[in-house]
Amino acid sequence: MSETNDTIVINGLKENGQRISSQEFEQMVQAAAERSHHLLLHTYGQHNIGGRLFKKDARYRIVVKGPVGQRLGCMARPGVTIVSEGSASNDVGYLNIGADIIVKGDAGDGVCNAMAQGRVMIGGSIGARGLTMSKWNPEYARPELWVLGSVGDIFAEFNCGGIGVVCGINPKTPENVMGYRPCVGMVGGWIFYRGKTDGSFSKGDVKDTVPNDEQWQWLLSRLPEFLEAIGQPEHLASLSKRGEWRMLIALTPQEKTLLNLGSMSMQDFRTKVWEAAFKGDPLRDLAPGLDRSPIGLIVTGELRRRVPYWANRANAAPCTFYCPTHIPTVDRLRLIRDGKIDESYELTLRYTPFPASVCGAICPNLCMEQCSRQDVDTSIDIAMLGRAVLDAKLPPVKPNTGKKVAIIGGGPAGMSAAWQLAQEGIEAHIYEREEKLGGKIEQVIPWERLSIAIWQKEIDRFLQMPNIVLHLGHTVTKEDLERFLKEYEYVIVAAGAHEPRRIPFPGSERVITALDFLKSVKSGKPMKIGKRVVIIGAGNVGCDVACEAYRNGAEQVILVDIQKPLAFGKEREAAEKLGAVFRWPVNTKEVTEEGLVLADGEVIPADTVMISIGDVPALPFLPDSIERFRGWIKTDEVGRTSDSKIFAVGDVERPGLIAHALGAGKRTAECIVALLKGQEYQPFKQRVIDKKALTTAHYCPTSSKGINVADEADRCLSCGSCRDCHLCETICPAKAISRKTLSDGGYEYVSDDEKCIACGFCADTCPCGIWVMKTA
Amino acid sequence: MVAVSSITSSPSDLTYADLPWLIEHREDRCAVCGKCTAVCPVQAIQLTYRRQRIVGLGMLGKGKNDPSVNYRTLYGIKQKTDVAHRCIGCGMCSMVCPNEAIRPIPNPNDARLRFHMNQGGDAWKRGGRRNDRDSLLDKIIFTRISMLTDPALDAGRHEFFMNTILGRILPPEEFIQKKAKGEWIPPTREIFPFIIGSMSFGALSPNMWLGLLQGVAYLNEVLKIPVVMATGEGGCPPWVLKSPFLKYIILQIASGYFGWDEIVRAIPEMQCDPAAIEIKYGQGAKPGDGGLLMWFKVSKLIARLRGVPEGVDLPSPPVHQTLYSIEESVMKMIQTMSMAWGFRVPVYPKISGSTSAKAVLNNLVRNPYAAGMLIDGMDGGTGAAYNVSMDSMGHPIASNIRECYLDLVAQGRENEIPLFAAGGIGKNGNIAQNGMALVMLGASGVHMGKYIMQAAAGCLGSERNRCNVCNIGLCPKGITSQNPKLYRRLDPDQVAQRVVEVFTSIRTEMKKIMAPLGRSQSLPIGMSDAIGIGDAAAAERLKIRYIC
Repeated sequence: MSETNDTIVINGLKENGQRISSQEFEQMVQAAAERSHHLLLHTYGQHNIGGRLFKKDARYRIVVKGPVGQRLGCMARPGVTIVSEGSASNDVGYLNIGADIIVKGDAGDGVCNAMAQGRVMIGGSIGARGLTMSKWNPEYARPELWVLGSVGDIFAEFNCGGIGVVCGINPKTPENVMGYRPCVGMVGGWIFYRGKTDGSFSKGDVKDTVPNDEQWQWLLSRLPEFLEAIGQPEHLASLSKRGEWRMLIALTPQEKTLLNLGSMSMQDFRTKVWEAAFKGDPLRDLAPGLDRSPIGLIVTGELRRRVPYWANRANAAPCTFYCPTHIPTVDRLRLIRDGKIDESYELTLRYTPFPASVCGAICPNLCMEQCSRQDVDTSIDIAMLGRAVLDAKLPPVKPNTGKKVAIIGGGPAGMSAAWQLAQEGIEAHIYEREEKLGGKIEQVIPWERLSIAIWQKEIDRFLQMPNIVLHLGHTVTKEDLERFLKEYEYVIVAAGAHEPRRIPFPGSERVITALDFLKSVKSGKPMKIGKRVVIIGAGNVGCDVACEAYRNGAEQVILVDIQKPLAFGKEREAAEKLGAVFRWPVNTKEVTEEGLVLADGEVIPADTVMISIGDVPALPFLPDSIERFRGWIKTDEVGRTSDSKIFAVGDVERPGLIAHALGAGKRTAECIVALLKGQEYQPFKQRVIDKKALTTAHYCPTSSKGINVADEADRCLSCGSCRDCHLCETICPAKAISRKTLSDGGYEYVSDDEKCIACGFCADTCPCGIWVMKTA
Repeated sequence: MVAVSSITSSPSDLTYADLPWLIEHREDRCAVCGKCTAVCPVQAIQLTYRRQRIVGLGMLGKGKNDPSVNYRTLYGIKQKTDVAHRCIGCGMCSMVCPNEAIRPIPNPNDARLRFHMNQGGDAWKRGGRRNDRDSLLDKIIFTRISMLTDPALDAGRHEFFMNTILGRILPPEEFIQKKAKGEWIPPTREIFPFIIGSMSFGALSPNMWLGLLQGVAYLNEVLKIPVVMATGEGGCPPWVLKSPFLKYIILQIASGYFGWDEIVRAIPEMQCDPAAIEIKYGQGAKPGDGGLLMWFKVSKLIARLRGVPEGVDLPSPPVHQTLYSIEESVMKMIQTMSMAWGFRVPVYPKISGSTSAKAVLNNLVRNPYAAGMLIDGMDGGTGAAYNVSMDSMGHPIASNIRECYLDLVAQGRENEIPLFAAGGIGKNGNIAQNGMALVMLGASGVHMGKYIMQAAAGCLGSERNRCNVCNIGLCPKGITSQNPKLYRRLDPDQVAQRVVEVFTSIRTEMKKIMAPLGRSQSLPIGMSDAIGIGDAAAAERLKIRYIC
């Protein structure tokens, strides 16, 4: 068949009046399109007219008359023009990719559904869902839908770049030319409209606006062609009034996000709605002026929950705390570090008259037992520090005040009290039964444990102390005491415990007491003992007895105790070194010639049995009115007895170490000094520093203990007392800490509140435990 | 000599490996800036110095001056191991660290700490929630998807009616009769079915509480989503009572009666009625146990709000002191509260999840003033409770709400008295799914507490016992502290903004659930044919479809 320029006419009805199926009609159209580009189709409801005219670059003009089926111009290509002389059914321009489709009458639902390119021009109105899912591919021209009248509901849903023009001329729905809820999900394109609407367009997707110059120009320039195509050019003038046109334009994704969260910023809402409703802060009556303004996580100044505090010297070092005399060893060692050796020794002597004899020899050194340095290596050798003071001179003392105190007993407790009183210019009169001072140190403690040379040197120094008056060989009587109470401001009872305790088991008369034995040894006329010795009571005195027994002829010494032996330290080591054996638990039944008979009948053979279970005070001079408890004098925390003029210190108060006796003497003397001055006595009240507050990792273990005071001074952790090491200043991340020199020559470290973030690094770093974080 | 520094081993000495949260610190990244130790709410971490012995083990060259043993000191961040300073896993250290050098990690080994959480003889008390991450609600699937069989709806395209009714709904004939006679008709409220559950001004900081309300106000006034929030016990600031925002508030009355003098005083000055009155009989997180606002949370502000002296413990007893029976309770409390606002405000009780819930419900059904019932399941949260109450007391919400709903169905009254569910909704973040699952099991709406704290304020708590220190006033986010140094960390505007974001997204997810079910014009309350679960026992108990 040859091509022709003539219009080929195809009938949708067979000659017999039977309708041709859409499929058959399509084949007829295809065949005709091979021959001519001008087709006149008398359709009878056939669907999908105008599609599949796929010849490249060919231009077709297809005029449709009669009842038009669905999907007119479906999948039609550019270059194809389809004109329906009357109205059309649903889905005109479905999937159209470029054809011009003109419907001179009305069109049904779904006009331009999924159309990507081309123009659909409607001379009447359309049904629902027009311009839905229309897509604009930017490689091609935008799809356009022109409607002279109105559109039905749900117009332009999910429109993506298509342009709709709704002219509102003779609309089917004059009260609402855009239908109900247009533009849901519309993401691009323009909708021009003219006429009344119900305002139900999807506000989350599009905004209602007026055309700008460019958009108006676009519309105005194309209107004539549209009107021409639908054959109604007469409306041009009425459609050319810019003021009558409005537009619905897709929101940008950014605009949509904002809109989803409301059209008002929260700050605006707060000021314009929220606070406006309260006429101010809603808490203003409950908490006037409460500042609730936001702050950050890291804060300074008043906003910190903790603040650092430089608690220098607020807590005691363990050495000071546990020493009954509270000798401030950290201060002694600081003076040594500062090169002030003499001052260091003087400081020591202010606390004790016997640093070499007691600290350096006979004291078990409770200070060292608790020394923090043990976290690093070994404790500071405080005994050695004591011995170093042996040759130090007397500290300067205050002039005699004329006040006098009587001290009954010249043992460690009484001497310590006298030493303190004398330094304060108070005359201390010591009444001592024996001819020598020193009490049990002098009479009982073996010379092996305290060299006579050291002891003599310290006694000599003691005797040089002004304001001390000795009354040796004076056994105090009740009458004496009455006199003392009149002649002296105060009386201190420091007579010690010189009455050995015994147990009245059968044969107890055979038993030698430790006190008698040790006194005899110390006096140079030792009691005779056998080769096999049993000592009842395995404490430290028992150990001294054992050692002396070995030295005086014993070959085997057994220490027995009813409980686990309390002996410890140097005394026990010495006894064990000599061969002493400990046995416990042992219940003594009796002592016979054979030895010690136990409750179970066993006999521990012994030539000599000694008992070492402590001594009690002998106080014949003391009036009965002074309260006692089981033989010891009852005292308060400063050593005062039930008579406020009489104090008691040392073993008369309670049994203890020599160090306890020294401490008690010092304490009571200080209390008396305060009383005589009319001041309030300030007892030692510091708490021991929490070891966790110290940072010991700054120190490295030394290969051996320091061998001189300078080494020990370096090793000292200076618990609770600033070592001026600057570590806090260095570690502080906020640069808040600085060191300030004070007018008195001292110094302090301070933290600037405005810089400090309260990290606690100062407290975590301070080797001495000075910085503490306090709750703010 | 006995070394005092010898290392001891007392019963409650723990190593860091015994703690539930371990601090992982990287010295190679640490800036030594102090921020982590400054921010740590419980002082669980500190700067530490570690001395190391460096031993030269070479065979040769040993001699007089051989420095074969040296020491070096390293520094780093260390966690404390005592019970009081244990790491709580909050992760604030990570939040402030400039170098990602520090973080808490859960200890995969046995955390022996649990055996020592009773120091001083007091049983373990904490804030937070039940330490159980499992959620039955998470497992409920919406199975009835409308395909070609009936028109599916488009969540993005269709309009949805998603609100619920709080209040007694009369049967139509009764309504018409009463209306005709001009009789009293029980008040109702159309509200969004996700409700911010009861958290008191006191348990919450001022910035948190006001931030929540500001967000709720925004949702109502700007976005027109009718969200309401419940106050919890402890009153409501007088200016809020007299504000137009009162209509978004459910006021709670509980056994402590805190704040009610101020509420009663404010009634004549109220611009509007409150959304409802909630009578608290129980709380899911600590059923049968009372509340206690610790003295350190009773600031001047809280004291004035609650009408009590400052710095005293404020106990709310487990039971209302003068109520002896359900009937009496209904008479006394529901009727009194209804009358206070001229019978214009719905009044409903809140009870702990319990096997006795049905008994309560059946009494309420017979009471014309009962506007609904809220069941708080055991996965709910609390500011402070004994661990045993939190972990082991109560009833899970799903079967409890379901049996109550089916009971109403059996009586033909399921549309009359609304049931509300609470307790663990959104515990793993699936708030809309959890809530809608409960709706389809029969709830008319759900209350959420922990979720909103987590989502709107960044609460760090978790079902792995992370943080959970609401009880001690140290909330690192400032949510549950009355210390301005902490609660000022929370910006009320940001909380409000997040509240808005939470609800707009819940709304979206609700549509995403409702649309495929073909449901847009009413909340699918009791639409249990739409859900299924891959757990046969649960399916049987809940009377829903077992799916696999």
